[in-house]
Amino acid sequence: MKNSINSIVSVAIAAIALTACNGGNNNAEESNAASTAVTQTEQQANSAETVAATPINGVVDDYLQLKNALAADNGQEAASAGNELMDALKELGASSLTPEQKQVYDEVQEDAIEHAEHIGMNADNIEHQREHFDIISQDMYDLVKAFDGVQKLYVDYCPMYNDNKGATWLSATEEISNPYLGSAMPTCGEVKEEIN
Amino acid sequence: MSSSKKILLALLLVFIAVQFIQPARNQSGQALATDITKVYTIPENVQVLFKMACYDCHSNNTNYPWYANLQPGRWWLERHIKAGKEELNFNEFGTYSARRQMSKLRSIENSIEDGTMPLTSYTLIHKDARLTNEEKATIIAWLNETQDSLTLQN
Ligand code: HEC
Repeated sequence: MKNSINSIVSVAIAAIALTACNGGNNNAEESNAASTAVTQTEQQANSAETVAATPINGVVDDYLQLKNALAADNGQEAASAGNELMDALKELGASSLTPEQKQVYDEVQEDAIEHAEHIGMNADNIEHQREHFDIISQDMYDLVKAFDGVQKLYVDYCPMYNDNKGATWLSATEEISNPYLGSAMPTCGEVKEEIN
Repeated sequence: MSSSKKILLALLLVFIAVQFIQPARNQSGQALATDITKVYTIPENVQVLFKMACYDCHSNNTNYPWYANLQPGRWWLERHIKAGKEELNFNEFGTYSARRQMSKLRSIENSIEDGTMPLTSYTLIHKDARLTNEEKATIIAWLNETQDSLTLQN
């Protein structure tokens, strides 16, 4: 009898855990609607510059949105940018690439898409989004290096993130705006390299 | 029969009925050539920790606990195994590209540091899967060592 009571209690716990496990996403989606509006106006501002609207620039744009959202401590906006980045990466794969570009893309895409997807799923956990952003930034660096006609980018490095292990990211501006530490330490970092 | 009794009876019948739904078990029994131990040298004590704390959901061989014989316990576990294996499969680590292997090591480290893995709903029942701070440090030390040696190679 004691055993069966134990079982019933555990099953009840399991049932609760089951429903709790996937609950996190709903409110994220509601507030996404508001933030996409903002993202879109920003995007229009971006494309008003001289850079052509090619698939790789779509990827870079979404990555930069993501970076800005993280720097602004905005997990909701980072999530929607992450989802857009995932789509843009897939579009890039469907576009015509040179053999060299295809090689880099094939090496990077699975990893990059997975991380973009996770950033999209974690609107309520910005620290986790940043962990994925750290990894996807390396993918992005390798990717943009393989393409011409990408806007000017700065490779920034902050030595403090991740218990002083450090992390890099790409930025469109020379001025530092740290996506890993956000408003806690917005100017931590330095330009390591300029691309294009 | 009062209506509350009817409801109870109905629930009981549903409970009994769902016991017959038993999906195929996640037990391939094979030691795969793509296992993580074939990719890296992993010290025995770290291997044991991974097996104890992670393999139920992140490998092709789940050590099914008693509650998996009961629904909805089985259903609950099976869902985690499916989602968990999609993210990370220790038995199929060798099929990942070099880049993905690196990034999985990073994700494993993050998940242990943040305490998001193993899932709390799981350690609630599986007390032996709870990692002590020492055990976490052991795993993380190995992860760091491995990642450093890989970065040097590249
Ligand atoms: C009860 C089943 C279960 C156990 C035990 C478990 N995991 Fe997981 N794990 C999951 C599920 C489900 C997911 C995918 C959904 C999620 O992220 O919550 C996941 C995802 C992950 C991810 C990817 C997460 C990300 O966002 O990058 C990593 C890495 C991971 N687990 C590592 C581990 C490690 C290491 C252990 C052991 C210390 C472990 N897991 C134990 C179920 C489990």
